[in-house]
Amino acid sequence: MSSPALTVSPSGIERRNSVLSRLARDKVALTAAVVLVTIALAALFAPLIAPYDPYYTDLSKPMQAPDGEHWFGTDNTGRDIFSRVLYGSRNTLVMALAGVLAGGALGGALGIASAFYRRLDPWIMRLVDIMLAFPAILIGLSVAAIVGPGIESVIIALVVSTVPDVARVARGSAIGIMGQEFMEAGRAVGVSNGALIWRYLTLNCISTISVFLTLRFGQVILVGSALGFLGMGAQPPEAELGMMAAQGRDFLFMAPHIATIPSLVILLIVLAANLLGDAVRDVLDPRLQQ
Amino acid sequence: MKTLMMASGLALCLAASLAQGQTLNYMKALDAPHFDGHRTTWSPSSDVINLVQDTLVALDWDGKTALPLLAKSWTVSPDGKTYTFKLRDDVQFCSGKKFTSADVVYSFNRQREVKGPFTWRAGKLKELKAIDPYTVSYEMTEPYSDLLVQLTMFNNAIHNKESVDQLGKDYGIKGLDGTGPWCFVSWQPRTEVVLKRHDAYRWGPSMYTNPGPVKFERMSIKIVPEDSSRLAAMMGGRFDITPHFPTQFIDQAKKAPMLNVDQAKPNFQLMYFGFKIDRPMVSDPRVREAMSIGLNRAELTKAVMLGQADPAYTYIDPEALDFAPSTKGIIKEDVNRAKKLLDEAGWKPGPDGIRVKDGVKLAPIVYIPQVTYFPRMTEAIQGYMRKIGIDWKIVALDSTIMPAKLSGQDFDIWTVTVPYLSAGELMNFYFDSAQIPVPNRMNYKDAQTDESIRFGRTALNDADRAKGYAAAQERVMKDHLWMPVMNVKMYQTSNKKIKGARAHMLYQYTYYKGLDIAP
Repeated sequence: MSSPALTVSPSGIERRNSVLSRLARDKVALTAAVVLVTIALAALFAPLIAPYDPYYTDLSKPMQAPDGEHWFGTDNTGRDIFSRVLYGSRNTLVMALAGVLAGGALGGALGIASAFYRRLDPWIMRLVDIMLAFPAILIGLSVAAIVGPGIESVIIALVVSTVPDVARVARGSAIGIMGQEFMEAGRAVGVSNGALIWRYLTLNCISTISVFLTLRFGQVILVGSALGFLGMGAQPPEAELGMMAAQGRDFLFMAPHIATIPSLVILLIVLAANLLGDAVRDVLDPRLQQ
Repeated sequence: MKTLMMASGLALCLAASLAQGQTLNYMKALDAPHFDGHRTTWSPSSDVINLVQDTLVALDWDGKTALPLLAKSWTVSPDGKTYTFKLRDDVQFCSGKKFTSADVVYSFNRQREVKGPFTWRAGKLKELKAIDPYTVSYEMTEPYSDLLVQLTMFNNAIHNKESVDQLGKDYGIKGLDGTGPWCFVSWQPRTEVVLKRHDAYRWGPSMYTNPGPVKFERMSIKIVPEDSSRLAAMMGGRFDITPHFPTQFIDQAKKAPMLNVDQAKPNFQLMYFGFKIDRPMVSDPRVREAMSIGLNRAELTKAVMLGQADPAYTYIDPEALDFAPSTKGIIKEDVNRAKKLLDEAGWKPGPDGIRVKDGVKLAPIVYIPQVTYFPRMTEAIQGYMRKIGIDWKIVALDSTIMPAKLSGQDFDIWTVTVPYLSAGELMNFYFDSAQIPVPNRMNYKDAQTDESIRFGRTALNDADRAKGYAAAQERVMKDHLWMPVMNVKMYQTSNKKIKGARAHMLYQYTYYKGLDIAP
């Protein structure tokens, strides 16, 4: 007798196709997805696309406005901003993705464990409450002070700030599933705890967690960029969008493009992620479907 | 009732604006670790110390002449070893205690006891004697040609023993007594220093029209680290005066109808990168030379400083006292030669373009202050270094922790901007092996250099002094212990609603005593 949660039935494939077609019919979501995918692909293929070495300084051309030679202009050391935006988007997206995925995995594990092992629940939730009390910026500063600034410090800060929210969502979802009859049935027929946790609980909570993480992605990018802006993230000469915006603010009056272009790219990414996340939630959230 | 409330409101506004008018609002970019002049070399400490404390002599506008201050006159023995200072008898500390020769003896002895990093500026003291309450005998073991000018430095200010004893480890943090034109009230680190007028002050140096007291009741010194914020604050009239108007916007300040910009002249301030020569990556002089000649200083100063600095190819400015013309030409920018030197030193380009030797990448750690032009200047130089295959790892530090971090040994290169008065000062300050580990952070020890510096320091005539310091300059430059970058111009920017602000060149802070500044 197979678990109802696990079988990949033709109805499951049909459900996925239905989700995608519903997303595709949403023009806003489609546009957001196209923007996000374009930026992600551009970032991925940055070494092939970037017209200039992002680290190459040319002090004979500092703070040049955008023109045919340098589409986004140059920064105060003559580096091509378009190339740096490509590489910077890479770093920004990697930080956010790593933060969300690692934070999601850890938070999900904590939340599900908390729901399954009721004796651990108070301890795990108190730990989560403590983690929730610390703003992400503060965590980022602390990590940077201990291990030194860098992309790794930002990722750690993003993971730590994502875990408690995901843990709560996962716990809530898992508690609902724990009350379902198939869980009792599984126990009754001797399904192991491991199988119960993975095949029964986790696979049924994934959609809820995924919805939450897609909504969270935009926030994580903002926090990561803020930490980069404060100097906690990528160090010179690495490109990172938040850091580039910070460096440009010294020249806001004479070369505003240096700060505004990376800031606009951050805006674009966060907006696209939020809009797509909203659309995915509308389609996938079981509560909304009910 | 309504009338009463309106009248009260008006009175409050008037009182606030009057109080505001009696306060001089001073802005600077970086804060100090503390204000005990015996324990620091850091210039952000020096301005407050110069306001609250006095030295025996003051430095005139020309940067070379010592004027009477707490000492009204002095004589020098024929062998140059003993100075006899006659002190003023009308001076008192902010606490009310009368200033006497005992305070002078105490101050210089304390500096020696705490092994202050600037103790050398006082010469090699043998004995300080209070002959009478207003006469001090200052005897050294050897002549010191720079003594009088060095006695104008903040570390040689006169302290009140009672204040030091009372405050203990909080001296220079929670309190500071002095005979200066201002009295210390409070310090909130990274935020504000508050001073109040020293009402009894009447002994200001003759370079000022007003001998004291100052014309404001209160001075509020606020820290504003961001360049754009300082620009906006001065343009908006929030502050009256600053030595830290962002240099890239100085031309805008000169055109602003509400601002006065005064350039300090003469002014010798060298921005350099120093090498810790006992660290493996920078121990080879060929590597150091490669870095030094791999720049384009003219391009750097034009693009990054927008012309507000002059490229520096020597450690000493050509206009400074005892500059050695023979040091011109030691640093000749040549990128191809830089690459060749690195090849010869065994550093070969790796697949990513960064040089490698014995499996180690040439990626030195570079400590920089995270303020004003340092980050963007260093990043620009980092670009030059990448072109010759060196990956500078920049670590930006807050100004309040930078002195402590620089006293460590876990970095390869550091940068500061050092103000100096003469070639001799810089040679004595940095290159004498007695100054290891601070400020001789290079850990440079060379007997011949020490001897040249000693010869210049103890000279009894100008020719010998210049000869000694010239030999030292040649030696240290040929060893490429530093990478000089630029001589930074120094400006004082003030709001036109205050009068009498003139920029002084002493130790990076243009205010000095500011006795002529008036509303």
